Amino acid sequence: MKQVKVILFNLILLAFSILTVVPFVWMLVSSFKPNSEIVKIGGSFLPDTFTIQNYINVQERFDFLRMFGNSLFVAVVVTGTVIYTSAIVGFALAKYTFKGREFIFGMILGTMMIPWAVTIIPRYDMIVNFGWLDSYIALILPSIFSGFGIFLLRQNIMTIPDDVIEAARMDGATEWYIFHRVILPMSRNAISSIAIFQFLWVWEDFLWPYLIINTQSKQLIAVGLKLFSGQYGTDYGGLFAATAISIIPVIIVYVTFQKRFIAGISGAAVKG
Amino acid sequence: MYKTRHAWFFLTVPLILLSVFTFIPAIAAFILSFTNYNVFQPIEFIGIQNYIDVLSDHSFRNALSNTVYFWILVTPALIIFPIFLAILVNQKLKGISVFRLIYYFPVLVSIVVTAILWRWMFAESGIFNYVLSLVGIDPIRWLTSTKTVMPAMAIVTVWQGLGYYMLFFLAALQGVPKELYEAADIDGANFVKKHVYITIPLIKPMIFFVAVISTMSAFKEFTLMLTMTSGGPLNASTTVVLLVFKEAFERVNMGYASAISFVLFVVILIITIINKKFLDTDYK
Repeated sequence: MKQVKVILFNLILLAFSILTVVPFVWMLVSSFKPNSEIVKIGGSFLPDTFTIQNYINVQERFDFLRMFGNSLFVAVVVTGTVIYTSAIVGFALAKYTFKGREFIFGMILGTMMIPWAVTIIPRYDMIVNFGWLDSYIALILPSIFSGFGIFLLRQNIMTIPDDVIEAARMDGATEWYIFHRVILPMSRNAISSIAIFQFLWVWEDFLWPYLIINTQSKQLIAVGLKLFSGQYGTDYGGLFAATAISIIPVIIVYVTFQKRFIAGISGAAVKG
Repeated sequence: MYKTRHAWFFLTVPLILLSVFTFIPAIAAFILSFTNYNVFQPIEFIGIQNYIDVLSDHSFRNALSNTVYFWILVTPALIIFPIFLAILVNQKLKGISVFRLIYYFPVLVSIVVTAILWRWMFAESGIFNYVLSLVGIDPIRWLTSTKTVMPAMAIVTVWQGLGYYMLFFLAALQGVPKELYEAADIDGANFVKKHVYITIPLIKPMIFFVAVISTMSAFKEFTLMLTMTSGGPLNASTTVVLLVFKEAFERVNMGYASAISFVLFVVILIITIINKKFLDTDYK
């Protein structure tokens, strides 16, 4: 019986995997094909002519590694600060009762309901007025608060029993201490999710760095990737090769942080 | 009433920065929605004319009904399937972390690559129609028929969102005490019962979160339609934000585009409030 169950589980898991991984493999395999072969309708899955020219072009056509480094810097700084600010605001909204709490929470949810197409112009004007064009501060500062992150942490911290916090207060812990030593460690699954997604979003965000950064050597990788769809059609091979390389950090972040889930919350204080 | 002062101590700096970079631009956009701003002319206040125009605009109504249809197709699927997947990959099985990675792959594929790939799969002689032909169903014109274009978009969105929302539920599942399952096992509860009566109630805050997040992204979706169909055929896949995008950046009617956005904002707000009523329970 147990054996049958395990086999059944694996079959379902496998079926879903085929759905999700095939397109990705297709992209990876295609990055080793010459362009003429990629655009051919009804072409074979595996390359007829195997080439690594796409990967060589990526570095030669624009300084790919430089952009890679720039993106890494911005993504790490933004992700780190977003985690901290989301947790602190999420904690205040989840565990303190005060006047205006629902209003503030409503406003934060509200920020997520307005399409970016509308706010991007006023925001751009603001950055120009501050004199922050072509600087990383314009990429970092507006992004270090995330309505999404605050919302996620609030939902998560709500599930932490009040008794845990009360017990810490009884022991004479300050609120500051409770936040850092009780709430943060108990929120690590949610924090891991934020780390994974925030990193991904900064990594993939195209429009904002495209508007803000003018110097080629300061540019981020997401903008670089768009250079492949030029005026004279798309260089699919180059695009696929560059995409394949550029998702490596995102995969590393994902694998690192989702490992925390397996560890579980066995280390956490009191059970609910 | 635990020490209001502490709450404000934690909130002040974040809220100031949030105001500067998010609220102020939003307010500015709101003010613009009462003007005829189009970059070229001097700004002129025209009262609520934009809003009157939006509400009587045939293409807005079409876009709104497309968007609602898309939302209905996508959001329930993006709650049910990811919960199911999360429970699956939360089992202690050999190689489970490989599956956790594999399910995440669609999230990593950029929109441009996604569009190329799915256009190819939805083609007249593509893989979907091939599978249908095996069971004797006539080929479907997925992307070129007004009836199937939105379901096709929904399939792509659900495909891409599975691994993404799975992760939130996976995080939430870690907070469910194992003892509860053990107790249920002793009582002889089966797999389905265990999860319906234990898992679902305990991860409710996360279900609310996912319901809200996926609702918002369904209502704000447009890049997929822009890259795959440009909103066609016959505007059957034009969503509200795609309309905003076209008004703002193709026709440069910034004032009008802002007004459409705020009407959409009100729609999303109402749905979120309803969601909150049903799903947001405080743990006391």
